[in-house]
Amino acid sequence: MDLSLALNTFMILTLVTLSTPILLPLLSHNFKNTPDTITNTVKTSFLISLIPMTIHIYSGTESLTLLWEWKFIMNFKIPISLKMDFYSLTFFPIALFVSWSILQFATWYMASDPHITKFFTYLLFFLMAMLILIIANNLFVLFIGWEGVGIMSFLLISWWHGRAEANTAALQAVLYNRVGDVGLILCMAWLASAMNTWEIQQLSSPTQTPTLPLLGLILAATGKSAQFGLHPWLPAAMEGPTPVSALLHSSTMVVAGIFLLIRTHPLFNNNQTALTLCLCLGALSTLFAATCALTQNDIKKIIAFSTSSQLGLMMVTIGLNLPELAFLHISTHAFFKAMLFLCSGSIIHSLNGEQDIRKMGGLQKMMPTTTSCLTIGNLALMGTPFLAGFYSKDQIIESLSTSYLNTWALLMTLLATSFTAVYTIRMTVLVQTGFVRIPSLTPMNENNPAVTSPITRLALGSITAGFLITSFIIPTKTPTMTMPLQIKMTALVVTALGIILALEISKMAQTLLLTKQSSFSNFSTSLGYFNPLTHRLTMSNSLNGGQNIASHLIDLSWYKIMGPEGLANLQLMATKAFTSLHSGLIKSYLGAFALSIIIILMSTY
Amino acid sequence: MNPPAKLIFTISLILGTTITISSNHWIMAWAGLEINTLAILPMISKSHHPRSIEAATKYFLTQAAASALVLFSSMTNAWHTGQWDITQLSHPTSSLILTSAIAMKLGLVPFHFWFPEVLQGSPLLTGLLLSTIMKLPPMTLLYMTSPSLNPTLLTFLAILSAAIGGWMGLNQTQIRKIMAFSSISHLGWMAIIIVYNPKLTLLNFYLYTMMTATVFLTLNSIKVHKLSTLMTAWTKIPSLNAMLLLTLLSLAGLPPLTGFLPKWLIIQELTKQEMIPAATLMALLSLLSLFFYLRLAYCTTITLPPHTTNHMKQWRTGKPTNFLIAVLATMSM
Repeated sequence: MDLSLALNTFMILTLVTLSTPILLPLLSHNFKNTPDTITNTVKTSFLISLIPMTIHIYSGTESLTLLWEWKFIMNFKIPISLKMDFYSLTFFPIALFVSWSILQFATWYMASDPHITKFFTYLLFFLMAMLILIIANNLFVLFIGWEGVGIMSFLLISWWHGRAEANTAALQAVLYNRVGDVGLILCMAWLASAMNTWEIQQLSSPTQTPTLPLLGLILAATGKSAQFGLHPWLPAAMEGPTPVSALLHSSTMVVAGIFLLIRTHPLFNNNQTALTLCLCLGALSTLFAATCALTQNDIKKIIAFSTSSQLGLMMVTIGLNLPELAFLHISTHAFFKAMLFLCSGSIIHSLNGEQDIRKMGGLQKMMPTTTSCLTIGNLALMGTPFLAGFYSKDQIIESLSTSYLNTWALLMTLLATSFTAVYTIRMTVLVQTGFVRIPSLTPMNENNPAVTSPITRLALGSITAGFLITSFIIPTKTPTMTMPLQIKMTALVVTALGIILALEISKMAQTLLLTKQSSFSNFSTSLGYFNPLTHRLTMSNSLNGGQNIASHLIDLSWYKIMGPEGLANLQLMATKAFTSLHSGLIKSYLGAFALSIIIILMSTY
Repeated sequence: MNPPAKLIFTISLILGTTITISSNHWIMAWAGLEINTLAILPMISKSHHPRSIEAATKYFLTQAAASALVLFSSMTNAWHTGQWDITQLSHPTSSLILTSAIAMKLGLVPFHFWFPEVLQGSPLLTGLLLSTIMKLPPMTLLYMTSPSLNPTLLTFLAILSAAIGGWMGLNQTQIRKIMAFSSISHLGWMAIIIVYNPKLTLLNFYLYTMMTATVFLTLNSIKVHKLSTLMTAWTKIPSLNAMLLLTLLSLAGLPPLTGFLPKWLIIQELTKQEMIPAATLMALLSLLSLFFYLRLAYCTTITLPPHTTNHMKQWRTGKPTNFLIAVLATMSM
């Protein structure tokens, strides 16, 4: 049987199924979308997408489809082509599974929203854009998906647009993403002029690739995946509803930057500078985000910073020249991060909008399913052996420890790993255990299956996904098999130290003493002083500078002082100087006459 | 003033001027200059006002000193060369001293300090005489000795005159002082070209005389002495007002009016003599005097002061305009 035909057919069928809620209302007036139809559409797409993935696992088939060729100019043709290789075939089911769960959750979470259908349509648009990005074979189609997810992120973050903070956060997201887009366009321009193509297949170069396009790609990844420098939008994006945070800002959109680096990896292979830059940038991002997460009190912000930290870890993996491992981490991370967000959404809704973990406590007994899944997610995040996160995270740490690389990056990543454990345990302890700190008459319940079944589904995925993926996929680069015992145990030891530290500190915190301010805690609480410095300082300087140039330099100086008024002032000075000479005293006049005559006579001798 | 006295002074003026112009011997020239000085002194102090007396005193002191210097220079020249011919002033020191003396007589910078105050202290018609007739004998002497004059000194005096005349005129509100500084600035133009082409000096002088005479006579007929009075003068003789505007612009040297002609020819002659920086400086400095001429024109014609009624002319009719003004005005445009 022609497997590639079946592969192509089912992938196209997946995409077409997803687009039915968008196309059908345009074709017939009777058909109206509901949240349930959209959820079922995504579920159907997920089931269909399992078939191509199975075909690929069974036979290793990959496929490249050309839909249309845009003959732009004579020498430069832009083919609209789709690549179905390991990455896209594996990511499709994962993304669709996670999206299905989130959409099902959102039918409960957004049930009281009057525009719930529009919300679901937005999420569907986002999903389509993301899948176009994943399946793209050239940078042009990828850019279409890239921009699509950016726009939908803007619309979804500002869903509750009456709230000023939501609008500010959406603007922040768009602006920071735009800065990253500059890098992507730079790389595309360089590729178009140097290699005359945007196709992924034709991207490798035998000698060392020039650093400039790679810098552009790294800038794009920094913007989209919230690496340090362009990171403030990710915590701010928590203004959006929890399904948005779960879908966009944990599993799918933010990994688009890392995915871009994975796709263009042949360019990175031989340029050690770019790889080192990725490594150090990733290490810095992961440590910074983990530091900021230590003192956060909003449950969604903790999970957001955790996402940011894991993205830094993915960037570190790219810097180690291990794209497949980064992809593995993307896949496993999608499961447990989405589940963490859904659990937090369930808790928030049950507590009637309370997001501060200092006002939660003892929820273990009151919301057993949610908190159990929260625990499973946190354990997976920390890299507990044989849960999903272990397979990717532990392998990353091992490769990090056994590679010939920057020691500073290694130390920072290890520190960030222990910090991950610290803030995760802190969140768990404050939310689930201890005394109850919520108002007494809170009617919390988990009775609706729309809440529990997505969460449990994702919990199942968090436990088994790592095992399943690593069982069926043969890595292209050999992982390090032998290493000293201490190196092997590094991740576990560091995590365990973090847990012990967190438990110790939380014991101190439960004695209700006022926390002493220190420079370290201030640094962590104010997110590294990054936001005020960049958002206020540079902006006010540039705007003030612009105003000064316009009004002082151009209007005042050039048009007035350098021109007519300056000239008039000079004449006034001369006039006043000479007027004081004409005093009216004849003695001084005659003296001037005598002096002048003497000077005239003297000058000729 | 007493009519016979006025007659004597006028005839003495004419006599003195004629003697100097037509003389060949330095002593005759000097005598003519002295007669002129003495004749105009009572005309300056006609009104016996302290300011007029002071003006007359200043005038006498300066002019006497200048005449003495003229005599001194001619004597030095006679001692060295043995002759008293005006056109043969060959000794360099003599020519320097003579240039300074003539500068003092005319009012070239830095010997100009007396001129504004004297003009301010004298009545308008006497001011006219001071500006025009009294400059004719010294100008003639300069013309006759022009081959032996020092060009550097004259250029220096001329540029300074244009500069000081321009800058000082900007700060004045009394019209007679403005006319004094305008005279100084025009004298600068006259002085710069005398070594290279003396005929242009004479051309400039004649045209200047005509235009200044027009202005002085107009001001005399509408009896204004300051800028604020000038503002309301349009009601007296409206047609004269319009003519005054054009005459002032002609004095400023705006083409296509007559006053442009001497400036143009002087700049052309200077350029031919490779004195381009000097020509540029003179042209730029005449912009300053343009400003105060424009200010005069502005106050006269271009702007209306706050006034109550809509009438165009004063109800009382003044005497009809002088015929001389009409002729001079026509010729000066």
